Parts: sequence; structure tokens; C-alpha cells
Amino acid sequence: MRLKFYRHNRFALFIIAISLLFITITTVACGNSAGNAYKDIDWQLTLIGDEQIVLDFDEILAMPAYSGRSGFFTSVGVVNGPFDIKGVPLLDLCDLVGGVNSSEFVRISAVDNYSMVFSYNQLHGEFITYNTSLHEVDNDGLVLVLMYELDGEPLTEDVGSPLRIAIIGDNVLTEGMYWVKWINKIEILNFD
Amino acid sequence: MCMVTKQRISTAFIIALLLIPLLNTGCGSSKTPLPVIVAGSFMVPIEDLETKFEELHPDIDVQVEGHGSIQVIRQVTELDKEADVLIVADYSLIPMMMYNTTIASSDEPYADWYLSFATNSLGLAYTNTSKYGSEINQSNWYDILTRPDVTVGIADARLDSCGYRAFMTCQLAEDYYDDASIFEQLFGNSFTWPVTVSGEDGIQTIHVPEILEPKNDRLVLRGNSVWLLFLLDAGEIDYAFQYRSVAEQHGHSFLELPPEIDLSSDDYATSYGSVMVKMDFQRFGSVQPEFNGEPIIYGLTIPNNAPHPDIAAEFVSFLISTQGQAILTDNDQPPIVPAQTDNPEALPAEIRELLQ
Repeated sequence: MRLKFYRHNRFALFIIAISLLFITITTVACGNSAGNAYKDIDWQLTLIGDEQIVLDFDEILAMPAYSGRSGFFTSVGVVNGPFDIKGVPLLDLCDLVGGVNSSEFVRISAVDNYSMVFSYNQLHGEFITYNTSLHEVDNDGLVLVLMYELDGEPLTEDVGSPLRIAIIGDNVLTEGMYWVKWINKIEILNFD
Repeated sequence: MCMVTKQRISTAFIIALLLIPLLNTGCGSSKTPLPVIVAGSFMVPIEDLETKFEELHPDIDVQVEGHGSIQVIRQVTELDKEADVLIVADYSLIPMMMYNTTIASSDEPYADWYLSFATNSLGLAYTNTSKYGSEINQSNWYDILTRPDVTVGIADARLDSCGYRAFMTCQLAEDYYDDASIFEQLFGNSFTWPVTVSGEDGIQTIHVPEILEPKNDRLVLRGNSVWLLFLLDAGEIDYAFQYRSVAEQHGHSFLELPPEIDLSSDDYATSYGSVMVKMDFQRFGSVQPEFNGEPIIYGLTIPNNAPHPDIAAEFVSFLISTQGQAILTDNDQPPIVPAQTDNPEALPAEIRELLQ
């Protein structure tokens, strides 16, 4: 009797140990810290202005970052966020290829052939902002960034990995169409 | 109970506990999901259609997701999302974006038929606090909208069909009212980079620049026409170009415009065709940035890679049935009776029968 009891206890402990091992492996694989997860990102961003340069993801990560909290809503009013967001200001990236003046605008393109343009005023933070009840509210200044981290984690594929536009303010929302996913090209253009 | 039995039960209990999360992940609801992606202006009717259809089919869970019409189709053709039914506010997007695009690792197009099943009209939404609301009518609306103390809302024509259709209506108004200055007065000096009109071979083409930014407070632009309704409620604008169904679903007053310019009637399809809107840029790889003046016709299809095509056919059959049409009518969305198709042979049989 005692022997059988011991064997069953060992069996139960074995099951628990296997389960803990499984949970640990899953956690490591799925919920890794942001720093490690960035290591394997192979992505190139083309910047076109006075000149054309291509940045690797590591080079973007090495630029001074801007953080804040904001979110967006879809065209049918589904609210996403606000989130803790970290990224590189779009104007800093534009400065690498000559900067943007008031007669120019910026086109952001993504790998899915979607593009969105931002006027000079928008590049300097002029957007309509909303609260989470989708009522228009004033803001204390907005910064357009190329986001690579959301709520302390790298972006997932669905969210727009590895680079997505975000409009950072103080807990405000903006229209989701501006939050372009999967960005691979930034062009500075003018109407001439 | 002996100790061995107790230990077996304990072991089984532990294993069961460990399995519960896995089972939950794998199973979830026992209902069959039916993902339906719809245009934003169809969100109110689809909620009623969903409720009634689920009452008739308690084993099915209609899962509605809303986007702008172009994005509705892109979810399937470019973003690899699976959907059983797609519903858009402009039927012509279905052949444009789906007929020549093949499903990955296949020669089959994403769709090869559409149904046109409902119409709409374009007019002006307003409230009882809108300036000159008591005197606006079909004869003077364009004059009132240009008064200096009146604020007008319009959806961004680059992003929302309601926006470019508003441009069409205002251009058509020039012929209808025999006043060639209407478009210029309404929009001529309103944008940092101007919206211009050129004429050739009897077609008036409205050119929309890549940046569309109002340069004064008299004209207010929003990415989606529905957001204009909130501004109306807050008294921040007096009038908004809007679809009739959306204005009435949200309880706003609505000025109907003459059918010659409101894009509602097939009887005027030829004259609507005398205007077009051309975007001077390409925002989506798969969309021609030119929109011809046409009656507003809602379209739907079942993608060829739909996960549940048979149930999707049941849902579409319900939507175009007498019961479905009544729901559309109740939501101020005039149905096309019977629904029309461009390719009867390709339709599921049960849908085809309803068109006869």
C-alpha cells in the first residue's frame, strides 16, 4: 500500500514538474523581455529626402527615443488603448535626410502597399484628439513617432511589427487611419 | 475509499486542472462563428440583421467587424483575414479589388460575383440649433452653406466615400441650379492645397490633392463622416454632408437634395456620370484612385476562401429576403428589390433562387 502511494505521489509530482517546465518554456518563448526580442528583428527602413538612406532596425533603436501614452480608434469607433508607447520622433528621422520645410509633406508607406501622408502641420502635432468616450478634447501637444514598443513589449505582427506610426499625447486618442503598420519607407515630398 | 483510489483521484484531478486551460484554448464557444466585415455606414442595420439571424440560427455566432469600404476588402485580399461575407458601401469596389486578385497559392480570384442590395442618398444633416435651419431647403442650401457665419462639415474625400460623393453632389448642383459658381464658392478657397475641377468631353473631373487641409474654420474636415455627427451634436458645426441612412439612424434632421444630384436614383445614372473624382495620388496599391459619379449602391459578396460558405449563403439569403429587406427599410437603408447580380451563374443556388 505504502509503495503504491509513493509511486502515485511520484507520478503526480512528475506531471507537475513537466507542466512547470512547459509553462516556463512557453513563457520564455512568448513573453520575452523587449530587449532580447529586438535582437532578431531584421528590418530595413528607407528614408528619402535630399538624399536616400536605409536604416536597419538596430540603428533606429539606437536613436533617442520618445515615450508617452496615447491610443487610437477605428473608423467604426472601436477604441484601442491608451497604451504606453515608445518610438523615434518622425521629425528626427526626417532630419537625417535634410528635414521638412513648410511647403513639404511626408508620405509613409508600408509593406502591404498602404500609405498615408502627413502635412507639415501634422508633423508638428496638429491632430484632432479625442477622449475614450470619443468626444473631441484639446491636447497639450502631440509628437508623431515611429513606434517600436507598446506597453513595454516589441510590436506583434498584428499590431504592426516592427514599426508603426503612433501619435503620442497625454492619454488622448486619434483616428486609427494615421497609425500605419509595417512601415518600410518614409518620403519627404513637395507639390512642385 | 482506499488510499490508492484517493491518490488516483488526486492525480486525475491534477491532470484535469492542467488540461483545463488547453481545452479552453482549443474549444471556446460551441457556436459556429460567421465573420462578417461591413462598411461603417452599414453598422446599424447589420446589428439588427445579426440579432434576427442568430434568433433563427442559435448555433451560429455572427461576428461583425466594421471598416471603411476599401479596408473591408483589404482585410481579405491584402491582410489575409478570413471572412464569410463582405459588405461595402460601393459595389464597384468588389470587382475592382477582388476579381483580378488571386487567393494565395491558387488561381482562383477572391470573388467572382457581387450582389447590389441597397441604396442610399446624400444630403445635409443638421440639428435644431443649426444656423438658418428653419429656412434651409432644396432651393437655397448651397447659398446658406456659403454664408460667412455658417460652419460646414465634410468627410475627408481621400478616406471616406461620403467625402468624395459630397464633392460630386456639389459639382452636379452647378448644372441642376444653372449656377457655375457653386463648387468654387463652397470649396474654392477652403483648402491649403486647392481642390480643382477640370472639364473634358463633357466630364467634370474633381482633382483631390494628396494633402487635404482646411485653411479656415468655416469648413471642418474629419476622416469619417460619422464623426461629423458628434460635432453637430456639440453645436460646433451647423451642417454636415451625410448619407441619409446614417443621419436618420442617429436621429438628426436631414435635408434631402433633389434626386438629380443626391446620387440616389438609377434614373439619373447617366447625368451622375458627368462628374468624377480623381485622387492625384495612389493610397492603396490595389485601388484605382478614380471614382465615377454613380448611384450609391451597397454591394456584398462571399469570398471564395470563406471558411463557412454554406452558412454565409444562408446569411446573405436572409439579408435579401423579405424579412431582411424589412430590417433595412426600418433602418432608413432602402433595399434594392430584388437584389441584382453581375454573375448569376456563380451565385450559390439558394441565393440565385431569391433573385428570380
